[in-house]
Amino acid sequence: MKKQLTGLIIIWALLIFSLPAFAGVALDTAQKSVNGVLDVLRDPKLKPASATELKKEKLRVIYKNMFDEVEFSKRTLTRNWNTFSPAQRTEFVTLFEQILENSYADKILSYTNEKVEFYKENKLSDTQVEVQSKIITSSKEIPIFYRMILKDGKWKVYDVVIENVSLVQNYRTQFNDILAKDKPEKLLETLRKKLNKK
Amino acid sequence: MKFYLSMIVCVFVLCAQGLAYGQETSFTVGPQDESVSQQIVSSAKATPDLTSEDQSKTASNNPTDELSEDYHEDEILEEYAAKIKEEKVEIADPLEPLNRVFHEFNDKLYFWALKPVAQGYKAVVPEPARVSVKNFFSNLAFPARFLSCLLQADFSGAATEAGRFTINTLWGIGGLMDPSSGKELNLQKQDTDLGQTLGVWGVGQGFYIVWPVFGPYSFRDTVILAGDYFIYPVSYINPWYASWGVRAYEEVNATSLRIGDYEALKDAAIDPYVAFRDAYAQYRFKKIKARKTKLTLSAPAAQQGKPADAELLNKEN
Repeated sequence: MKKQLTGLIIIWALLIFSLPAFAGVALDTAQKSVNGVLDVLRDPKLKPASATELKKEKLRVIYKNMFDEVEFSKRTLTRNWNTFSPAQRTEFVTLFEQILENSYADKILSYTNEKVEFYKENKLSDTQVEVQSKIITSSKEIPIFYRMILKDGKWKVYDVVIENVSLVQNYRTQFNDILAKDKPEKLLETLRKKLNKK
Repeated sequence: MKFYLSMIVCVFVLCAQGLAYGQETSFTVGPQDESVSQQIVSSAKATPDLTSEDQSKTASNNPTDELSEDYHEDEILEEYAAKIKEEKVEIADPLEPLNRVFHEFNDKLYFWALKPVAQGYKAVVPEPARVSVKNFFSNLAFPARFLSCLLQADFSGAATEAGRFTINTLWGIGGLMDPSSGKELNLQKQDTDLGQTLGVWGVGQGFYIVWPVFGPYSFRDTVILAGDYFIYPVSYINPWYASWGVRAYEEVNATSLRIGDYEALKDAAIDPYVAFRDAYAQYRFKKIKARKTKLTLSAPAAQQGKPADAELLNKEN
Protein backbone atom coordinates (compact mmCIF):
# COMPACT_ATOMS: atom_id res chain seq x y z
CA MET A 1 0.00 0.00 0.00
CA LYS A 2 2.67 2.42 1.08
CA LYS A 3 4.73 1.48 -1.91
CA GLN A 4 1.88 2.26 -4.25
CA LEU A 5 1.26 5.56 -2.53
CA THR A 6 4.90 6.46 -2.85
CA GLY A 7 4.85 5.64 -6.52
CA LEU A 8 1.72 7.66 -7.07
CA ILE A 9 3.10 10.68 -5.28
CA ILE A 10 6.30 10.56 -7.26
CA ILE A 11 4.45 10.26 -10.55
CA TRP A 12 2.10 13.07 -9.55
CA ALA A 13 5.01 15.29 -8.54
CA LEU A 14 6.87 14.55 -11.74
CA LEU A 15 3.80 15.38 -13.79
CA ILE A 16 3.43 18.75 -12.17
CA PHE A 17 7.13 19.38 -12.46
CA SER A 18 7.10 18.72 -16.17
CA LEU A 19 4.23 21.12 -16.88
CA PRO A 20 6.27 24.29 -17.37
CA ALA A 21 8.29 22.55 -20.05
CA PHE A 22 5.30 22.59 -22.38
CA ALA A 23 5.57 24.86 -25.38
CA GLY A 24 3.61 28.05 -25.11
CA VAL A 25 4.77 29.14 -21.68
CA ALA A 26 7.02 31.80 -23.18
CA LEU A 27 4.25 32.99 -25.46
CA ASP A 28 1.88 33.25 -22.50
CA THR A 29 4.47 35.14 -20.48
CA ALA A 30 5.06 37.66 -23.25
CA GLN A 31 1.36 38.02 -23.93
CA LYS A 32 0.59 38.60 -20.27
CA SER A 33 3.18 41.36 -20.05
CA VAL A 34 2.02 43.05 -23.25
CA ASN A 35 -1.60 42.86 -22.14
CA GLY A 36 -0.51 44.45 -18.89
CA VAL A 37 1.01 47.30 -20.88
CA LEU A 38 -2.19 47.70 -22.91
CA ASP A 39 -4.28 47.76 -19.73
CA VAL A 40 -2.18 50.61 -18.37
CA LEU A 41 -2.41 52.49 -21.68
CA ARG A 42 -6.18 52.11 -21.88
CA ASP A 43 -6.92 52.76 -18.23
CA PRO A 44 -9.37 55.71 -18.27
CA LYS A 45 -8.16 56.77 -14.82
CA LEU A 46 -4.69 57.33 -16.25
CA LYS A 47 -5.92 59.27 -19.29
CA PRO A 48 -5.12 62.84 -18.17
CA ALA A 49 -1.74 64.20 -19.14
CA SER A 50 -0.87 64.65 -15.46
CA ALA A 51 -0.83 60.88 -15.05
CA THR A 52 1.97 60.34 -17.57
CA GLU A 53 4.59 59.84 -14.88
CA LEU A 54 2.36 57.36 -13.06
CA LYS A 55 1.81 55.49 -16.31
CA LYS A 56 5.55 55.36 -16.95
CA GLU A 57 6.09 54.08 -13.43
CA LYS A 58 3.60 51.27 -13.97
CA LEU A 59 5.10 50.40 -17.35
CA ARG A 60 8.57 50.28 -15.81
CA VAL A 61 7.43 47.56 -13.41
CA ILE A 62 6.11 45.46 -16.30
CA TYR A 63 9.25 46.11 -18.33
CA LYS A 64 11.54 45.02 -15.49
CA ASN A 65 9.62 41.81 -15.20
CA MET A 66 9.55 41.16 -18.93
CA PHE A 67 13.09 41.99 -20.04
CA ASP A 68 16.47 40.66 -19.06
CA GLU A 69 18.46 43.84 -19.49
CA VAL A 70 21.79 42.28 -18.55
CA GLU A 71 21.38 39.60 -21.17
CA PHE A 72 20.32 42.28 -23.64
CA SER A 73 23.40 44.38 -22.87
CA LYS A 74 25.72 41.39 -23.08
CA ARG A 75 24.42 40.42 -26.45
CA THR A 76 24.84 43.90 -27.88
CA LEU A 77 28.43 44.10 -26.68
CA THR A 78 29.31 40.45 -27.39
CA ARG A 79 33.02 39.90 -26.74
CA ASN A 80 33.54 43.52 -25.85
CA TRP A 81 31.54 42.81 -22.68
CA ASN A 82 34.52 40.90 -21.32
CA THR A 83 36.75 43.96 -21.59
CA PHE A 84 34.38 46.01 -19.44
CA SER A 85 35.19 46.19 -15.74
CA PRO A 86 32.38 45.25 -13.30
CA ALA A 87 31.72 48.92 -12.55
CA GLN A 88 31.63 49.74 -16.25
CA ARG A 89 29.24 46.87 -16.87
CA THR A 90 26.83 48.10 -14.21
CA GLU A 91 26.94 51.61 -15.57
CA PHE A 92 26.50 50.44 -19.11
CA VAL A 93 23.39 48.42 -18.30
CA THR A 94 21.81 51.34 -16.44
CA LEU A 95 22.64 53.93 -19.09
CA PHE A 96 21.50 51.73 -21.93
CA GLU A 97 18.22 51.00 -20.20
CA GLN A 98 17.54 54.67 -19.61
CA ILE A 99 18.31 55.58 -23.19
CA LEU A 100 15.90 52.94 -24.44
CA GLU A 101 13.23 54.13 -22.03
CA ASN A 102 13.64 57.76 -23.06
CA SER A 103 13.37 57.03 -26.74
CA TYR A 104 10.59 54.47 -26.73
CA ALA A 105 8.37 55.63 -23.85
CA ASP A 106 6.63 58.34 -25.88
CA LYS A 107 6.12 56.00 -28.80
CA ILE A 108 4.54 53.37 -26.55
CA LEU A 109 2.43 55.92 -24.70
CA SER A 110 0.98 57.06 -28.04
CA TYR A 111 -0.59 53.65 -28.64
CA THR A 112 -4.23 53.36 -27.67
CA ASN A 113 -6.50 51.64 -30.15
CA GLU A 114 -4.04 49.18 -31.59
CA LYS A 115 -4.69 45.48 -31.36
CA VAL A 116 -1.91 43.08 -30.47
CA GLU A 117 -2.04 39.51 -31.64
CA PHE A 118 0.28 36.74 -30.47
CA TYR A 119 0.26 33.88 -32.90
CA LYS A 120 3.34 31.70 -32.81
CA GLU A 121 6.24 30.40 -30.80
CA ASN A 122 9.38 29.18 -32.55
CA LYS A 123 11.84 27.09 -30.61
CA LEU A 124 15.40 28.30 -31.09
CA SER A 125 17.11 26.03 -28.60
CA ASP A 126 16.28 24.25 -25.37
CA THR A 127 16.24 27.52 -23.47
CA GLN A 128 15.49 30.01 -26.22
CA VAL A 129 12.34 30.74 -28.19
CA GLU A 130 11.05 33.38 -30.55
CA VAL A 131 7.51 34.53 -29.80
CA GLN A 132 5.83 36.14 -32.79
CA SER A 133 3.25 38.86 -32.49
CA LYS A 134 1.91 41.73 -34.53
CA ILE A 135 0.49 45.12 -33.79
CA ILE A 136 -2.52 45.90 -35.94
CA THR A 137 -3.09 49.61 -36.45
CA SER A 138 -5.70 51.24 -38.62
CA SER A 139 -3.28 51.64 -41.51
CA LYS A 140 -0.84 48.76 -41.17
CA GLU A 141 0.41 45.67 -39.40
CA ILE A 142 3.77 45.69 -37.64
CA PRO A 143 5.35 42.31 -36.90
CA ILE A 144 7.11 42.24 -33.54
CA PHE A 145 9.02 39.16 -32.43
CA TYR A 146 10.30 38.65 -28.91
CA ARG A 147 13.34 36.43 -28.45
CA MET A 148 13.17 34.95 -24.98
CA ILE A 149 15.50 32.98 -22.79
CA LEU A 150 14.69 30.64 -19.91
CA LYS A 151 16.59 31.58 -16.78
CA ASP A 152 15.81 30.40 -13.29
CA GLY A 153 12.53 29.02 -14.58
CA LYS A 154 11.48 32.36 -15.96
CA TRP A 155 11.12 33.39 -19.59
CA LYS A 156 12.65 36.78 -20.19
CA VAL A 157 13.00 38.83 -23.34
CA TYR A 158 16.55 39.41 -24.55
CA ASP A 159 15.89 40.75 -28.04
CA VAL A 160 13.04 42.42 -29.88
CA VAL A 161 12.75 42.07 -33.64
CA ILE A 162 10.61 44.81 -35.15
CA GLU A 163 9.76 44.50 -38.84
CA ASN A 164 12.61 42.05 -39.33
CA VAL A 165 15.15 44.31 -37.63
CA SER A 166 16.73 42.88 -34.51
CA LEU A 167 17.38 45.55 -31.89
CA VAL A 168 20.28 43.62 -30.41
CA GLN A 169 21.96 43.33 -33.76
CA ASN A 170 21.30 46.95 -34.59
CA TYR A 171 23.00 48.12 -31.40
CA ARG A 172 25.74 45.57 -31.79
CA THR A 173 26.70 47.11 -35.12
CA GLN A 174 26.72 50.58 -33.59
CA PHE A 175 28.74 49.57 -30.50
CA ASN A 176 31.17 47.55 -32.55
CA ASP A 177 31.74 50.59 -34.73
CA ILE A 178 32.67 52.66 -31.68
CA LEU A 179 34.60 49.99 -29.75
CA ALA A 180 36.68 49.08 -32.79
CA LYS A 181 38.30 52.48 -32.47
CA ASP A 182 37.87 53.45 -28.84
CA LYS A 183 38.00 52.15 -25.26
CA PRO A 184 34.88 51.17 -23.26
CA GLU A 185 35.15 54.43 -21.32
CA LYS A 186 34.61 56.36 -24.54
CA LEU A 187 31.38 54.45 -25.28
CA LEU A 188 30.12 55.13 -21.76
CA GLU A 189 30.95 58.78 -22.26
CA THR A 190 28.91 58.85 -25.46
CA LEU A 191 25.96 57.22 -23.70
CA ARG A 192 26.18 59.66 -20.78
CA LYS A 193 26.19 62.60 -23.16
CA LYS A 194 23.22 61.25 -25.03
CA LEU A 195 21.27 60.84 -21.82
CA ASN A 196 22.08 64.33 -20.59
CA LYS A 197 20.95 65.92 -23.81
CA LYS A 198 17.39 64.95 -22.98
CA MET B 1 10.59 5.23 6.19
CA LYS B 2 10.25 4.98 2.46
CA PHE B 3 7.18 7.13 2.71
CA TYR B 4 9.08 9.91 4.43
CA LEU B 5 11.81 9.62 1.88
CA SER B 6 9.31 10.07 -0.88
CA MET B 7 7.84 13.07 0.90
CA ILE B 8 11.27 14.67 0.98
CA VAL B 9 11.63 14.00 -2.72
CA CYS B 10 8.23 15.57 -3.27
CA VAL B 11 9.11 18.70 -1.34
CA PHE B 12 12.25 19.02 -3.37
CA VAL B 13 10.39 18.57 -6.61
CA LEU B 14 7.73 21.05 -5.54
CA CYS B 15 10.38 23.61 -4.75
CA ALA B 16 11.88 23.12 -8.15
CA GLN B 17 8.44 23.44 -9.64
CA GLY B 18 7.73 26.67 -7.82
CA LEU B 19 10.92 27.99 -9.26
CA ALA B 20 10.06 26.80 -12.71
CA TYR B 21 6.81 28.74 -12.44
CA GLY B 22 8.79 31.87 -12.10
CA GLN B 23 9.64 32.63 -8.52
CA GLU B 24 12.90 34.45 -8.31
CA THR B 25 15.40 32.59 -6.21
CA SER B 26 19.11 32.54 -6.03
CA PHE B 27 19.01 29.08 -7.52
CA THR B 28 20.75 29.35 -10.83
CA VAL B 29 20.65 27.00 -13.75
CA GLY B 30 23.67 27.09 -15.92
CA PRO B 31 27.40 26.92 -15.98
CA GLN B 32 28.11 27.99 -12.43
CA ASP B 33 30.36 26.25 -9.99
CA GLU B 34 27.84 26.04 -7.22
CA SER B 35 28.08 22.75 -5.44
CA VAL B 36 25.10 20.48 -5.29
CA SER B 37 24.65 20.97 -1.56
CA GLN B 38 24.47 24.71 -2.05
CA GLN B 39 21.80 24.26 -4.65
CA ILE B 40 19.69 22.19 -2.32
CA VAL B 41 20.03 24.73 0.45
CA SER B 42 19.01 27.58 -1.77
CA SER B 43 16.12 25.70 -3.32
CA ALA B 44 14.90 24.69 0.11
CA LYS B 45 14.57 28.39 0.82
CA ALA B 46 12.15 28.63 -2.07
CA THR B 47 9.23 27.15 -0.17
CA PRO B 48 5.80 28.54 -1.07
CA ASP B 49 5.59 30.65 2.09
CA LEU B 50 8.50 32.75 0.97
CA THR B 51 7.69 36.34 1.80
CA SER B 52 7.67 38.94 -0.90
CA GLU B 53 10.44 40.78 0.87
CA ASP B 54 12.69 37.78 0.59
CA GLN B 55 11.78 37.44 -3.02
CA SER B 56 12.76 40.96 -3.91
CA LYS B 57 15.98 40.49 -2.00
CA THR B 58 16.98 37.42 -3.96
CA ALA B 59 15.77 39.01 -7.18
CA SER B 60 17.98 42.01 -6.67
CA ASN B 61 20.92 39.76 -6.00
CA ASN B 62 20.52 38.05 -9.31
CA PRO B 63 21.67 40.71 -11.78
CA THR B 64 24.93 41.24 -9.92
CA ASP B 65 25.75 37.58 -10.40
CA GLU B 66 25.03 37.93 -14.05
CA LEU B 67 27.00 41.11 -14.36
CA SER B 68 30.12 39.42 -13.17
CA GLU B 69 29.68 36.63 -15.67
CA ASP B 70 31.53 36.90 -18.95
CA TYR B 71 29.87 36.88 -22.30
CA HIS B 72 29.69 33.46 -23.91
CA GLU B 73 28.63 32.60 -27.39
CA ASP B 74 25.39 30.64 -27.51
CA GLU B 75 26.00 26.96 -27.30
CA ILE B 76 24.17 25.80 -30.35
CA LEU B 77 22.76 22.32 -30.56
CA GLU B 78 23.06 20.70 -33.94
CA GLU B 79 19.33 20.48 -34.57
CA TYR B 80 18.70 24.17 -33.98
CA ALA B 81 21.86 25.45 -35.60
CA ALA B 82 20.17 26.71 -38.75
CA LYS B 83 17.48 28.55 -36.86
CA ILE B 84 19.40 30.22 -34.12
CA LYS B 85 22.46 31.23 -36.04
CA GLU B 86 22.19 34.95 -36.32
CA GLU B 87 23.36 35.63 -39.80
CA LYS B 88 26.09 38.15 -40.08
CA VAL B 89 24.09 40.74 -41.95
CA GLU B 90 26.50 43.44 -42.89
CA ILE B 91 26.84 45.73 -45.82
CA ALA B 92 30.07 47.16 -47.17
CA ASP B 93 30.27 50.92 -46.92
CA PRO B 94 33.23 52.28 -48.89
CA LEU B 95 31.42 55.56 -49.52
CA GLU B 96 30.82 56.24 -45.83
CA PRO B 97 32.03 59.89 -45.73
CA LEU B 98 29.86 60.81 -48.71
CA ASN B 99 26.95 58.74 -47.44
CA ARG B 100 27.07 60.50 -44.09
CA VAL B 101 26.74 63.83 -45.88
CA PHE B 102 23.69 62.64 -47.79
CA HIS B 103 22.27 61.08 -44.65
CA GLU B 104 22.49 64.47 -42.96
CA PHE B 105 20.92 66.09 -46.01
CA ASN B 106 17.97 63.68 -46.02
CA ASP B 107 17.56 64.13 -42.29
CA LYS B 108 17.27 67.89 -42.72
CA LEU B 109 14.94 67.41 -45.68
CA TYR B 110 12.69 65.34 -43.46
CA PHE B 111 12.62 67.69 -40.49
CA TRP B 112 12.52 70.96 -42.41
CA ALA B 113 10.28 70.11 -45.35
CA LEU B 114 8.59 66.71 -45.43
CA LYS B 115 7.51 66.49 -41.80
CA PRO B 116 5.95 69.94 -41.45
CA VAL B 117 4.04 69.49 -44.70
CA ALA B 118 2.89 66.00 -43.72
CA GLN B 119 1.81 67.27 -40.31
CA GLY B 120 -0.27 70.03 -41.86
CA TYR B 121 -1.80 67.56 -44.29
CA LYS B 122 -2.50 65.13 -41.45
CA ALA B 123 -4.33 67.85 -39.51
CA VAL B 124 -6.66 68.49 -42.43
CA VAL B 125 -7.26 65.06 -43.95
CA PRO B 126 -8.79 62.32 -41.77
CA GLU B 127 -6.92 59.03 -41.47
CA PRO B 128 -9.32 56.79 -43.47
CA ALA B 129 -8.95 59.13 -46.45
CA ARG B 130 -5.18 58.98 -46.17
CA VAL B 131 -5.26 55.20 -45.99
CA SER B 132 -7.36 55.19 -49.16
CA VAL B 133 -4.85 57.40 -50.93
CA LYS B 134 -2.11 55.00 -49.86
CA ASN B 135 -4.14 52.09 -51.24
CA PHE B 136 -4.64 53.95 -54.50
CA PHE B 137 -0.93 54.46 -55.08
CA SER B 138 -0.16 50.94 -53.95
CA ASN B 139 -2.63 49.66 -56.54
CA LEU B 140 -0.98 51.80 -59.21
CA ALA B 141 2.39 50.28 -58.38
CA PHE B 142 1.05 46.87 -59.36
CA PRO B 143 3.19 46.47 -62.52
CA ALA B 144 6.47 46.33 -60.59
CA ARG B 145 5.18 43.66 -58.20
CA PHE B 146 3.59 41.66 -61.03
CA LEU B 147 6.76 41.76 -63.10
CA SER B 148 8.90 40.81 -60.09
CA CYS B 149 6.74 37.79 -59.38
CA LEU B 150 6.99 36.68 -63.02
CA LEU B 151 10.75 37.17 -63.05
CA GLN B 152 11.03 35.02 -59.93
CA ALA B 153 8.87 32.36 -61.61
CA ASP B 154 6.38 32.86 -58.78
CA PHE B 155 3.29 32.34 -60.93
CA SER B 156 0.84 32.05 -58.06
CA GLY B 157 2.14 35.36 -56.76
CA ALA B 158 1.75 36.94 -60.19
CA ALA B 159 -1.81 35.59 -60.44
CA THR B 160 -2.59 36.97 -56.98
CA GLU B 161 -1.29 40.36 -58.00
CA ALA B 162 -3.27 40.36 -61.27
CA GLY B 163 -6.41 39.33 -59.37
CA ARG B 164 -5.87 42.02 -56.77
CA PHE B 165 -5.37 44.68 -59.40
CA THR B 166 -8.57 43.74 -61.25
CA ILE B 167 -10.71 43.45 -58.14
CA ASN B 168 -9.37 46.53 -56.39
CA THR B 169 -9.62 48.66 -59.51
CA LEU B 170 -13.20 47.58 -60.32
CA TRP B 171 -14.75 46.98 -56.91
CA GLY B 172 -12.34 49.03 -54.86
CA ILE B 173 -13.24 52.28 -56.68
CA GLY B 174 -10.08 52.58 -58.73
CA GLY B 175 -7.90 51.15 -55.98
CA LEU B 176 -9.01 53.42 -53.13
CA MET B 177 -10.24 50.40 -51.22
CA ASP B 178 -8.55 47.06 -50.79
CA PRO B 179 -11.35 44.48 -50.85
CA SER B 180 -9.01 41.70 -52.06
CA SER B 181 -7.09 41.43 -48.82
CA GLY B 182 -10.31 40.94 -46.85
CA LYS B 183 -11.11 37.62 -45.24
CA GLU B 184 -13.36 36.36 -48.07
CA LEU B 185 -10.91 36.76 -50.94
CA ASN B 186 -7.68 36.72 -48.98
CA LEU B 187 -5.47 37.89 -51.83
CA GLN B 188 -2.56 39.50 -50.01
CA LYS B 189 -0.24 42.03 -51.56
CA GLN B 190 2.96 40.35 -52.74
CA ASP B 191 5.78 41.91 -50.84
CA THR B 192 8.32 42.04 -53.64
CA ASP B 193 10.26 44.37 -55.87
CA LEU B 194 12.92 44.28 -58.55
CA GLY B 195 15.86 44.56 -56.16
CA GLN B 196 14.53 41.55 -54.31
CA THR B 197 14.23 39.70 -57.61
CA LEU B 198 17.91 40.21 -58.27
CA GLY B 199 18.59 39.06 -54.72
CA VAL B 200 16.58 35.90 -55.26
CA TRP B 201 18.57 35.29 -58.42
CA GLY B 202 21.70 35.38 -56.31
CA VAL B 203 23.01 38.87 -57.05
CA GLY B 204 24.87 40.22 -54.03
CA GLN B 205 23.76 43.46 -52.43
CA GLY B 206 26.93 45.38 -53.26
CA PHE B 207 27.76 48.39 -51.14
CA TYR B 208 25.60 50.88 -49.30
CA ILE B 209 24.51 54.11 -50.96
CA VAL B 210 22.47 56.91 -49.46
CA TRP B 211 20.85 58.76 -52.32
CA PRO B 212 19.94 62.36 -51.73
CA VAL B 213 16.12 62.61 -51.47
CA PHE B 214 15.55 58.89 -52.12
CA GLY B 215 17.35 57.57 -49.09
CA PRO B 216 19.25 54.37 -48.30
CA TYR B 217 19.77 51.69 -50.93
CA SER B 218 22.25 48.99 -51.66
CA PHE B 219 23.95 49.16 -55.03
CA ARG B 220 21.79 46.27 -56.20
CA ASP B 221 18.54 47.68 -54.88
CA THR B 222 19.14 50.92 -56.74
CA VAL B 223 17.51 49.01 -59.60
CA ILE B 224 14.25 49.69 -57.74
CA LEU B 225 14.68 53.39 -58.46
CA ALA B 226 15.20 52.76 -62.16
CA GLY B 227 12.41 50.18 -62.30
CA ASP B 228 10.07 52.49 -60.47
CA TYR B 229 10.82 55.14 -62.99
CA PHE B 230 10.07 53.03 -66.02
CA ILE B 231 7.15 50.88 -64.95
CA TYR B 232 5.38 53.11 -62.46
CA PRO B 233 2.46 54.71 -64.35
CA VAL B 234 2.84 57.99 -62.48
CA SER B 235 6.15 58.56 -64.31
CA TYR B 236 4.25 58.89 -67.58
CA ILE B 237 2.13 61.83 -66.47
CA ASN B 238 2.72 64.88 -68.63
CA PRO B 239 4.21 67.39 -68.07
CA TRP B 240 7.15 66.12 -66.02
CA TYR B 241 6.60 68.48 -63.11
CA ALA B 242 3.04 67.20 -62.69
CA SER B 243 4.48 63.70 -62.46
CA TRP B 244 6.96 64.76 -59.77
CA GLY B 245 4.21 66.67 -58.02
CA VAL B 246 2.12 63.52 -57.77
CA ARG B 247 5.16 61.64 -56.51
CA ALA B 248 5.76 64.27 -53.86
CA TYR B 249 2.11 64.11 -52.81
CA GLU B 250 2.34 60.33 -52.54
CA GLU B 251 5.36 60.71 -50.26
CA VAL B 252 3.65 63.32 -48.08
CA ASN B 253 0.63 61.06 -47.73
CA ALA B 254 2.74 58.04 -46.83
CA THR B 255 4.76 60.09 -44.34
CA SER B 256 1.60 61.38 -42.67
CA LEU B 257 0.77 57.78 -41.76
CA ARG B 258 4.11 57.11 -40.09
CA ILE B 259 5.14 60.35 -38.41
CA GLY B 260 7.14 59.47 -35.34
CA ASP B 261 8.69 56.25 -36.62
CA TYR B 262 11.79 57.90 -38.01
CA GLU B 263 12.13 60.09 -34.93
CA ALA B 264 11.89 57.13 -32.55
CA LEU B 265 14.51 55.16 -34.45
CA LYS B 266 16.83 58.13 -34.70
CA ASP B 267 16.32 59.02 -31.06
CA ALA B 268 17.12 55.54 -29.84
CA ALA B 269 20.28 55.28 -31.90
CA ILE B 270 23.74 55.98 -30.55
CA ASP B 271 25.03 56.62 -34.07
CA PRO B 272 21.92 57.13 -36.26
CA TYR B 273 23.84 56.72 -39.50
CA VAL B 274 25.12 53.28 -38.51
CA ALA B 275 21.74 52.37 -37.01
CA PHE B 276 19.91 53.09 -40.25
CA ARG B 277 22.52 51.32 -42.33
CA ASP B 278 22.23 48.20 -40.20
CA ALA B 279 18.43 48.36 -40.15
CA TYR B 280 18.40 48.61 -43.94
CA ALA B 281 20.74 45.65 -44.35
CA GLN B 282 18.76 43.47 -41.92
CA TYR B 283 15.43 44.44 -43.42
CA ARG B 284 16.42 43.67 -46.99
CA PHE B 285 18.26 40.49 -46.06
CA LYS B 286 15.31 39.00 -44.26
CA LYS B 287 12.85 40.01 -46.95
CA ILE B 288 14.87 38.21 -49.60
CA LYS B 289 15.26 35.22 -47.33
CA ALA B 290 11.51 35.08 -46.73
CA ARG B 291 10.95 35.33 -50.46
CA LYS B 292 13.37 32.50 -51.16
CA THR B 293 11.64 30.33 -48.54
CA LYS B 294 8.31 31.01 -50.19
CA LEU B 295 9.66 30.07 -53.60
CA THR B 296 11.18 26.80 -52.38
CA LEU B 297 7.88 25.95 -50.76
CA SER B 298 5.77 26.59 -53.83
CA ALA B 299 8.29 24.83 -56.08
CA PRO B 300 6.80 21.84 -57.93
CA ALA B 301 6.44 18.36 -56.54
CA ALA B 302 10.08 17.44 -57.22
CA GLN B 303 11.06 18.17 -53.63
CA GLN B 304 7.94 16.98 -51.94
CA GLY B 305 8.10 14.34 -49.28
CA LYS B 306 11.50 15.34 -48.06
CA PRO B 307 11.58 15.89 -44.32
CA ALA B 308 13.41 19.18 -44.77
CA ASP B 309 10.45 20.44 -46.73
CA ALA B 310 8.02 19.47 -44.06
CA GLU B 311 10.07 21.33 -41.51
CA LEU B 312 10.11 24.45 -43.66
CA LEU B 313 6.36 24.21 -44.03
CA ASN B 314 5.96 23.98 -40.31
CA LYS B 315 8.15 26.97 -39.90
CA GLU B 316 6.09 29.01 -42.26
CA ASN B 317 2.69 28.13 -40.95
